[in-house]
This record gives sequence, structure tokens and C-alpha cells, in this order.
Amino acid sequence: MPIVKVSNLDKYFGRLHVLKNISLEVAEREVVVIIGRSGSGKSTLLRCINFLEEPDNGMIEVDGISVPATHRKTREHNQQVHDLRLKTGMVFQEFNLFPHLNVIENIIEAPVTVKKMSKEQASEIGMRFLEKVGLAAKRSEFPARLSGGQKQRVAIARALAMEPRVMLFDEPTSALDPELIGEVLNVMKQLAKEGMTMAIVTHEMSFAREVADRVIYMDEGCIIEQGEPEKIFAAPADPRTKQFLERIR
Amino acid sequence: MWKRLESRFHFFAMATVTTTPSASTPAPKSQAQLILERNRRARRNFTLSVVASWIAMLLLLLFLFSGLKLKSSAAGTQIAITKWVETTGNKQKQDETLFSLPVGIPSGEFAYSTITLDWGFVGKNFAFIRDGIWQTIGISALSIVTATVLALLAALGRLSTFPPVYALSTFYVSLIRGTPLFLQVIFFFLALPQLGIDLSGLWAGVIALGLNYGAYMSEIFRAGLLSVGKGQREAALALGMTQSQMMLRIVIPQALRFAVPPTGNEFIAMLKDSALVSATGFVHEILWRAGAAGKPVNRNLEALMIAAVFYWFMTISFSALQDRLEKYMARGDR
Repeated sequence: MPIVKVSNLDKYFGRLHVLKNISLEVAEREVVVIIGRSGSGKSTLLRCINFLEEPDNGMIEVDGISVPATHRKTREHNQQVHDLRLKTGMVFQEFNLFPHLNVIENIIEAPVTVKKMSKEQASEIGMRFLEKVGLAAKRSEFPARLSGGQKQRVAIARALAMEPRVMLFDEPTSALDPELIGEVLNVMKQLAKEGMTMAIVTHEMSFAREVADRVIYMDEGCIIEQGEPEKIFAAPADPRTKQFLERIR
Repeated sequence: MWKRLESRFHFFAMATVTTTPSASTPAPKSQAQLILERNRRARRNFTLSVVASWIAMLLLLLFLFSGLKLKSSAAGTQIAITKWVETTGNKQKQDETLFSLPVGIPSGEFAYSTITLDWGFVGKNFAFIRDGIWQTIGISALSIVTATVLALLAALGRLSTFPPVYALSTFYVSLIRGTPLFLQVIFFFLALPQLGIDLSGLWAGVIALGLNYGAYMSEIFRAGLLSVGKGQREAALALGMTQSQMMLRIVIPQALRFAVPPTGNEFIAMLKDSALVSATGFVHEILWRAGAAGKPVNRNLEALMIAAVFYWFMTISFSALQDRLEKYMARGDR
């Protein structure tokens, strides 16, 4: 029984057909890495899963909550989207920490305002995740004083503090200096080891090879090929996949 | 305090830095050091010259209003000071010779006199006008709070996708910006009673100033709201926040931070525009007091000068505060 189910998804940006009838399932505890050229629709697919992009057609289901695409934003639809977002955590390329809040405030913001948790309880949970990403000492710092890698680790802790069933990573290391990428990838590896269900868009091929249970190659809004990393990286069946991997090497 | 002075006029610090090493080691200075020193000297000279010019201008102003008089004729030359002297109930100007020389210009007469202020009046009314500072600050503070709330609402309305709200916001801004502030102030005080609405002078003033500044400041808040990046909104939504939670907890706090320094500027402008409320006659702020003290005894020059000095003093003080606030706010994020 898959925990994420994307069925027949279509997305247009104006006249541009960015996602073409995409269907995808992610099993519980599975780590899926989506690769592809820029503009292939991989980020859009990820952002459709939690409705940061409203799909034009199709259906998204996460942990039993299924939301059909619609152009009419009814109260019911908004409520469904809200419930679905509570099941997913997202990590962005640009971190998007709240600059007016310090590290621990960033983490407890959503548990307190959305889940109506007490500040004490939220802080307790928040500290647990902050320790997990190795930044307990930075609890009172403001984001402006953190390095990119630290920011991204805080962003991961912030998403985890809502205790989502699925984590979505949208190019989490693309805005980082090369020497800071490792610390973020290590946190993600740890998460994968602990059994978190993850969907990751990334250009870190060695990471994908090491951590992914399944690699998906996307091009021009379609899933071209998917399978175990050894298979995709060592012997891609489709010439487009082969060409992409050769170019990236 | 000393630290601040030192950093502001860094030549104090410079003096010690440059003399000590050269005294003990006569090693030649590097070119970088020389250029650095030259630039610092140039900056120091500029600052000193500006300060000196300011002092000169202030002294000139003081001189022009000093009441000093120079008279010269074949009989001799005198420097005198003109004073207002009260004798049996009415005031008269009287010259008091400070300095005289037996020689003067050989033919004709030369006289130059500066403006004579009635210092007796100034002394008697200084405290009265000064106490208007609190009314001025009070009405400005009330008005800026009103304006901030209105500006935020108007800015949110302006960004709304709901047509009536958008229309209301643009209508308000257009109407207020299209009419004079002075008209608005007297409208609330003089025109509304005709409709049976009697506002006290204070509230008429606060509403008029608040509405007016709110319309102008809505642009500041709109810019503030737009300065909060799309990523911030997406992060909030992805965490499960509702639209209103996102606005209240994430977007508006950041927009307000962005808007604080320009709002401070508006407050300083408001301090001066609050003088318009004196027209209602019911708010005893600085300008009203200046009129009340000066008009009956025909000492408007003195009264208005006292008022001007207080306004100037207040704007200088608040600008300095504003400066520090701005630096403080800029420190957090980079």
C-alpha cells in the first residue's frame, strides 16, 4: 500500500505542458530520487504533491488523504490541501527560514500555531530534532548568522518537527557551497536510515546512488525511466537517460 | 558616550594610532598606510569644516537677532545694544551703549542695527510654549498609530484579489491624496458638526492626520509586504499554516520590520504637520501656544521663533533616534 500516490497528473504553466499525465507511487519507508535536466518538471512534480503548485488535472493521495485537482478553491478543497500538507514536510533549495525568528522559534512556529501545541512541549520536540541535525548549540541564533549548510539543517529540523509522514526535498543542496553539501546530505542519509519516506529532487548523483531505493529520470514532463540506482546508473535503458548521465559525469 | 564620540569623529582615535608607532620605530610607512592616512585626513578635514560652518551660521543668526547697533559720525563711534524696556506699562526700545570711540567717519552718519528681540517676552513665554511639546508629540504619536493601522489595512487591501476590497483601498488612497491636508484637518473640525458629529479638536486632528498619513504610508507597507519573498509564504504554507496564519505570523511581522525606519521618517514629518491642528484652536500644541502668546501683545516674531526652535530641536532629536533605530534594525539581517 503506497503512502504517496500521484495519479494522471497534468500541469500547465500558461501554454507550457510541464507535467504530462504523471503517475507515481511511493511506498512507505522508500527513498525516491528524481533526476533530470532543468525544466524537466521534476521540481514541479514535487511541489504538486503538497499543492504548492495546483495541478490542473489528476489526483494526489498522501497517507489516505486524496485530493483531486480542481480550479475551484472551495472551502472543502482548501481543508483537504491543509490536511495533506500536515502529512508532508518540505525542504527548499533556498532554505526559506523565517529571518525574524531565531532557530528554535523557526522550528516551533508551526507546531504552536498549526497544531496548537504549548510552547514548552513544542520546544522539547524542537530541541530533539535540532539535536538530530547537530545544531542544538545554535538554538538562539538568528538565521542570518548561520552558514548555508546550517540553515538547511535547521530547515530540515523545522519540517521534521511537524512529524510528517513524507519528506519532500526540492534540490536541498543546490544553493550550497560545495564544502557545505556533505553535512546536509549526511542528515538526509541518517533520515533515510531511520525509515523516513522521502522524495528527493537532486543533482547529487553519488548521493542518489548510495541512498535511493529507486531513481526516477524525468524529461519534458514525463517519467522516462525508473528503477534501482544500480540499474539506472550502470545500464540505463533509454538513450535520453544515458545521454543525461553522460553529460552530468 | 566617549566611545560613540570617538567612533563618530574617528580622528580622536587616529591621533593615538598614528603617533605611537612612529615615535618608537621610524620604519617607513607603507604606501597603503599613507593612502589610508591621507583619506582619513581628508574626511576629518571635511567633517571639521562642516561643523565650523554650522557654528558660523548659527553665530551669524544669533548676531542678526542680537539687537547690536553700530553708529558712527564725526562725533564718534558707538556700539550699542537695543533693548525693550518697560516703563509705566508700555514698552519702548532703548539703546544701551556698550563701547564708544571718540573717532568716527568724517562726514555724514552711518548706522547699522540688527533685529531687536523682546527678551522679556521670550523669558516670560518660553516655558508656556515649551509645554506644547507634549501635546505636539502626543497628537503625532496618536496619529502615527492610527496611520500605521490604516496604512497596513490599505496595503493589504491593495494586494487583495477580492475586487471590493481592492477598490476600497485604492479609493481611500486616491481621495486622501487628492485633497489638501489642511482641508482635511478643518473638515473634521468644522464641517462635521454640521452633520451633528462633534469631534473634539484633538480627535478631529488625530483622525485627519491619521487618515492622511495612512494613505501616504500605505505605499510603504505595500512595499514591505512585497519585500517578503515568495519562498517565505511557501515555507509557511508547506508547514500547514492557513493563509491568515501565514500573513499574521510570517509575512506581516517581516513587512513591519521593513516598514519601521520609513515610519520613523513619517513620524518626524508628522511632528511638523501636527501644527496644522492649531487651526482648530483646541489642541494646545506648540504653534497654537506661540499664537496665543504672541498675537495679543504683537510679539509674533519672538513667539514664532521660539516655536521654530522647538520644532527644530524635536526633529533633530528624533532624527538622531531614527538613525540609531535604523542602524539597529539593519544589524539583524544581511
